Amino acid sequence: MVGFGPHLTSETSGLKMGVDMGAQTDIETVMTSVNVAKGLPNAHYVSDTVFEEEKQAVLFKNWSGIGFASDVPEAADAMPVNFLGVPLLIVRDRDGSVNVFQNVCRHRGMTLVSEAQKIRGTIRCPYHSWCYALNGELKSTPHVGGPGFNTHDDIDRDELGLFRVRSYVWHDVVFVNISGDAPEFEDVHQDLMSRWADFEKPMYYNAVDSGITLDLACNWKLAVENYCESYHLPWVHPGLNSYSRLEDHYNVVELGRYSGQGSHVYTQLKRDDGSTLPDFPNLPDKWAETGEWITVYPNVLLGVQRDHTFALVLEPVTKEQTIEHIKLFYASQDAVGDVYADMRARNAALWGDVFKEDIFVVEGMQKGRHAPMFDGGKFSPVMDGPTHCFHHWVASQVSVNRTAT
Amino acid sequence: MGSDVEYSLDALAEQLLAAHSANDAQRLVALYTNAADLREQAGDINAACFYLTHAFVFALEINAAERRDLQIRLWRHGREVKPEALD
Repeated sequence: MVGFGPHLTSETSGLKMGVDMGAQTDIETVMTSVNVAKGLPNAHYVSDTVFEEEKQAVLFKNWSGIGFASDVPEAADAMPVNFLGVPLLIVRDRDGSVNVFQNVCRHRGMTLVSEAQKIRGTIRCPYHSWCYALNGELKSTPHVGGPGFNTHDDIDRDELGLFRVRSYVWHDVVFVNISGDAPEFEDVHQDLMSRWADFEKPMYYNAVDSGITLDLACNWKLAVENYCESYHLPWVHPGLNSYSRLEDHYNVVELGRYSGQGSHVYTQLKRDDGSTLPDFPNLPDKWAETGEWITVYPNVLLGVQRDHTFALVLEPVTKEQTIEHIKLFYASQDAVGDVYADMRARNAALWGDVFKEDIFVVEGMQKGRHAPMFDGGKFSPVMDGPTHCFHHWVASQVSVNRTAT
Repeated sequence: MGSDVEYSLDALAEQLLAAHSANDAQRLVALYTNAADLREQAGDINAACFYLTHAFVFALEINAAERRDLQIRLWRHGREVKPEALD
């Protein structure tokens, strides 16, 4: 293993002497009850081999977030995304639907769109000018039969549309299943979608003041783990003690499905005159003072409150770098207008401070994963259930993949 | 069908380079159509279809109104699929 001394044992590090044995990490100790389980071994945070293994088993085989529908707000908007090396293109069609394609021409594999833009007509490959409609259909193959001959018997345009990637938009997040063989999104996440059915409503976004991007020097999973649990709140976010106390929180642990936290005391922002941001319409009373913050496995962090929601899409750049794309959403067109600009600014600052306060923790844990004797850690059976639930799920995905391969 | 600009082929070459440099697709549609017209008038259908192809591609790229007529011209020469509206 690069960077690790030969004195290590697989028991303490998940690695064997001198060789990156990440693909053989011991994950059985993770897939047991929280009372006795260990966390994922170091290799799951610092090994190139395991990063590649998880890329396939965890991120490509499931429904991963790659961006937001609001990144392509208008018809014919297109945004390229590089997701773990896979060139993707998010496109809003003229009918309003959002589709994801592999961002490559079917001819020579040239990448098609290099920067976010409005597609005026068709997507033209900059290499030989094959042209694609917004729905991926191949519309033109110039000179394919020789100069001035644009058809050929062996070029079937109907079979040469852009490769469509399975996608699903939920809470404005664009999820994709790169491997193409995951169960339907609505089947995988039906329990969570039912849990939050009250928030299946239009959400509104102000592109000027409601987006935050953070660059984290850590593995993407550490951002998930920190988000899931409330244990750290009084220590890392002392400002929350006045309005979101630890004892008001509860764990959300649904083994094999999702995890996170909630609070029975969600305190709305108020102006001096007592006014608040508009609520989502027709919410049941249970949301009056309750907020929940849950991870949609693998890499999307969602939060719901009566007057706003937010989503964090974790972009795994490398094994030790993650970009956090954060957007806050509101309940009505009015709520994203000038009248509430002051409230949105306060809300964005509040959450921005909380998310920034977490940076030293996730980056500190990443550095800690280079400590050779760290063994994945000991969970609090009471407080760390959500984190263990995530570890258990990741290990299960890896285990299934190892069995299959 | 003709374009709204008319140049000799030599003059067109310079204009085309400028339009390519400026990434001016609408101008490219007009200039390539002009070139196609000139070659078609000279009876050189292959060269005309070469230029028509370029005009058609740039018209597609920007959803220019000329795209349908350009496709029809190419189709009539057996160089492009039949426009859907004519099916």
